[in-house]
Amino acid sequence: MSIEALKETIGKVLKDVDVVIAYKEGFDALHSTPHFITSPEQIDKMIWNPLCVHNLTTYLPSMKNKKVGVVVKGCDSRTIIQFIQEGLIERGKVVVIGIPCKGVISVAKVLKAIDHKPIENISFSDNGDITITSEGEKKVLSLNDVSPDKCTTCQYPTPLIYDHLIGEEIKTEKPAESVYGDIREFEKLSLEERLKYWQGEFDRCIRCYACRNACPMCVCQDSCIAETRDPHWISQRLNLTEKFMFHMIHALHLAGRCVECGECERVCPMGIPVNKLKRKINLDMKELFDYEPGVKLDEKPPMFVFNVEEAKIKEHKI
Amino acid sequence: MRVGVFICHCGNNIAGTVDVAKVAEETRKIPGVAYATTYMYTCSEPGQEEIKEAIKREKLDRIVVAACSPRMHELTFRRTIEKAGLNRYFFEMANIREHVSWIGENRELNTKKAIEAVRMAVAKVMQNKPLYSSSFKINKRVLVIGGGVAGMQAALDCADGGLEVVLVEKSPSVGGMMARLDKTFPTVDCSICILGPKMVDVAQHEKIKLYAFSEIEDIKGYVGNYQIKIKKKATYVDWSKCTGCGACMEKCPSKNAYDAFNFGVAPTRAINIPFPQAIPKKAKIDPKYCRQFTKGKCGVCAKICPTKAINYEMVDEIVTEEVGAIIVATGYSLIDMEKLPEYGGGKYPDVISGIQYERLLNASGPTAGHIVRPSDHEEPKTIVFVSCAGSRDKSIGIPYCSNFCCMYIAKQAILTKDHIPDSQSYVFYMDIRSPGKGYDEFTRRAQEEYGVHYIRGRVSRIYPKGKKMVVRGADTLLGTQVEIEADLVVLGTAVVANSDAAHMAEKLHISYDTSGFYVESHPKLRPVETNTSGVFLAGACQGPKDIPASVGQGSAAASKVQALFSKDMLESDPAIARVNINTCVGCLKCVSTCPFQAIKDKELKDGRVVADVIETVCAGCGVCTSTCPCGAIQLQHFTDNQLLAEVNALCQM
Repeated sequence: MSIEALKETIGKVLKDVDVVIAYKEGFDALHSTPHFITSPEQIDKMIWNPLCVHNLTTYLPSMKNKKVGVVVKGCDSRTIIQFIQEGLIERGKVVVIGIPCKGVISVAKVLKAIDHKPIENISFSDNGDITITSEGEKKVLSLNDVSPDKCTTCQYPTPLIYDHLIGEEIKTEKPAESVYGDIREFEKLSLEERLKYWQGEFDRCIRCYACRNACPMCVCQDSCIAETRDPHWISQRLNLTEKFMFHMIHALHLAGRCVECGECERVCPMGIPVNKLKRKINLDMKELFDYEPGVKLDEKPPMFVFNVEEAKIKEHKI
Repeated sequence: MRVGVFICHCGNNIAGTVDVAKVAEETRKIPGVAYATTYMYTCSEPGQEEIKEAIKREKLDRIVVAACSPRMHELTFRRTIEKAGLNRYFFEMANIREHVSWIGENRELNTKKAIEAVRMAVAKVMQNKPLYSSSFKINKRVLVIGGGVAGMQAALDCADGGLEVVLVEKSPSVGGMMARLDKTFPTVDCSICILGPKMVDVAQHEKIKLYAFSEIEDIKGYVGNYQIKIKKKATYVDWSKCTGCGACMEKCPSKNAYDAFNFGVAPTRAINIPFPQAIPKKAKIDPKYCRQFTKGKCGVCAKICPTKAINYEMVDEIVTEEVGAIIVATGYSLIDMEKLPEYGGGKYPDVISGIQYERLLNASGPTAGHIVRPSDHEEPKTIVFVSCAGSRDKSIGIPYCSNFCCMYIAKQAILTKDHIPDSQSYVFYMDIRSPGKGYDEFTRRAQEEYGVHYIRGRVSRIYPKGKKMVVRGADTLLGTQVEIEADLVVLGTAVVANSDAAHMAEKLHISYDTSGFYVESHPKLRPVETNTSGVFLAGACQGPKDIPASVGQGSAAASKVQALFSKDMLESDPAIARVNINTCVGCLKCVSTCPFQAIKDKELKDGRVVADVIETVCAGCGVCTSTCPCGAIQLQHFTDNQLLAEVNALCQM
């Protein structure tokens, strides 16, 4: 796809919306940042490359009163479908500009690969090579080696919902079984081993709530149960049980809702694999209710319905 | 805050395995507890007086009673503290009987657990908020589901008391199982002759609105104000025109329709009136057999009908009725004989069920009361009755006794001798259960006066041999195997719950047991109430029951409704969901999960959309509270903070 085609589409879309959300360069060469375009002259500042990691749809529920255009990758598009399923946004108020995606980078992985040195320049070639200039030295990395885990098993490189598609559709070559391969592997550990693992991970949590704030599906925002006194589920004490409790609540509130965009894990300053817990619950939800969040527009999330009897839960049968 | 704790001995029920004095001693150490004492029977009048006095003397403002289940006495004590001037919700019960003393034998551990239970209750009561109920008007109409003898009795008693009754019967006529019986034990009265007048009364009573061939589609609301959706199933005959003349039935060319009324003993016509005494006496078409439906042409009945009542285009119709109470009298079914393959019922024509035999005996039945073998229509001379066909058999999931089979088998054996004097009947039985008035005399008469041969033992196999059926079984009194060559075998098939009983229970929000029978509020003291206020039980839907017991329950349920309706206003339960609009984020997940449609969205002045609970519809089930991600919707009296206080009290010991 060409950036020119994208800019041209945004130019057209901008005529009927209040704002288009895209990406622009961030505070250094390795970071991009969301770009809110409200006038045509801002279009030129936008970028599109594997640095565009954010799930820009996060903003949509808070912009309900506006008509918004948004640039999405395949993974991000699931959020829009989930929003619509849950009634959090109106389809008519969003113009979706979809881009088939070959993968993005993980900033953490790139930094690790170059020993956390400051970056002067970064460029991308079509074959997936990333050339990084750091302290005068050039280093070539492969995108596959530094992309986040979600890209390595990506099933939906082409957006599942869009009004404008920029570039050619891409079909995934990654086997569907691979998606939860790591979870199934992890489940082979004993209960004690898993508890120990999570205790070790969550002990590092500093309760900055970045995972929650970045999560597009966390709708409560300022009313989050982690910070209220009524009800008072969690105290401010910084100990493992309270941290554990917060992550359990976060994960359970996303049961059958998490679109696995990985934003929680991307923004965690402590490198805690927080998405893993949500994906485990998603796997259970899939097996129990045959439901995958954010995939089909006409589905209803299982936790949004009350059924006296469920096909795979036998408690009411006589 | 000054909490008072009253620990009950319950005679020896609690004090036997719990050191109540120690519980009181430990309770006094809990911050906030101003007073703790023990009492022999706290629920007794002096026990309640003691609470009232202590409230005044010790200036208590919250009360905990550690005693039995709140299902037993919560209401009692709420009233007590209300009389002493406290809000009735400043009360908690710690269940140290059912949860502690009755289930554990170790005194030390029991005492520890009782202390924990009290700590939890104290923590909860200190979080409790005063709640006030509002009152609302009762709709003094009653819905009776099921038009068998229990339902009819309930309907008539309610109607005679001046209440408007809506009676819904799923089959085309009222009468139920009793209408199918030939005679009733132990008086050998003609069943339809004593039931018929009741059926006519139901039809003619100006206070009873009968929906026959109709089913309950949906139930919404709560005690005092139910909205009932009733599905009037298509009969393809306009009942306002049908006179019940029966001309259509006579001319109908489709002669092989299944006769549900006669349990398939003989076929009926595709258009039929189930039996001569049917109420309402109206025809209906069975589209599964009607040629107009299966082949697309026929129309004989439409041509023959003198009042032009036939309407092949008829569709199901939904009507809504509003009532204030519901009596459930949905009755029972019988086990499918094919589930008992060793007896060959359903496979061999000459093995039939007791209710089928009843139809053979009946003068208005398909054989006009002549007992004949289904296979060759010859008169049987040797008849074997097998009791407990399915009943008291854990292996097929029916551990219970079907209650009335022993009695009707004795009756059928007696009637058989009357019909065919040179016949010989045999009865295989496990135990003869005849505890009713005049029942044991009756079974003895069958044996002593009518020469019925009773064999104590179970039948292992029934198989054909020429024209005969060989019944092989054990005679446990003689300790031998017996084989009887019978002309006809009658199985006393087990009573089971209706196949849709569970489904109906879910609609009514009442509980049912593992067999599908509805559960009464208390097995001894509240036999016709359910745990859902406003819903009452009558007849065999609650468990196998004979006619007098069913009639008694019908009347009992009616009297319960009369008592309920004797007030004009009911008090609402304030323990319902409430939305904190300051924290509600308007995701409206609660709206879509509420099983009662009791939550809707509401726009605030600032344009924000939040959830709003319809107080009168909310049943306080709590689904919304576990759905709400930010805890903005809270079930009053069971708020997150109240429950967390209990959990903390337990975990921080």
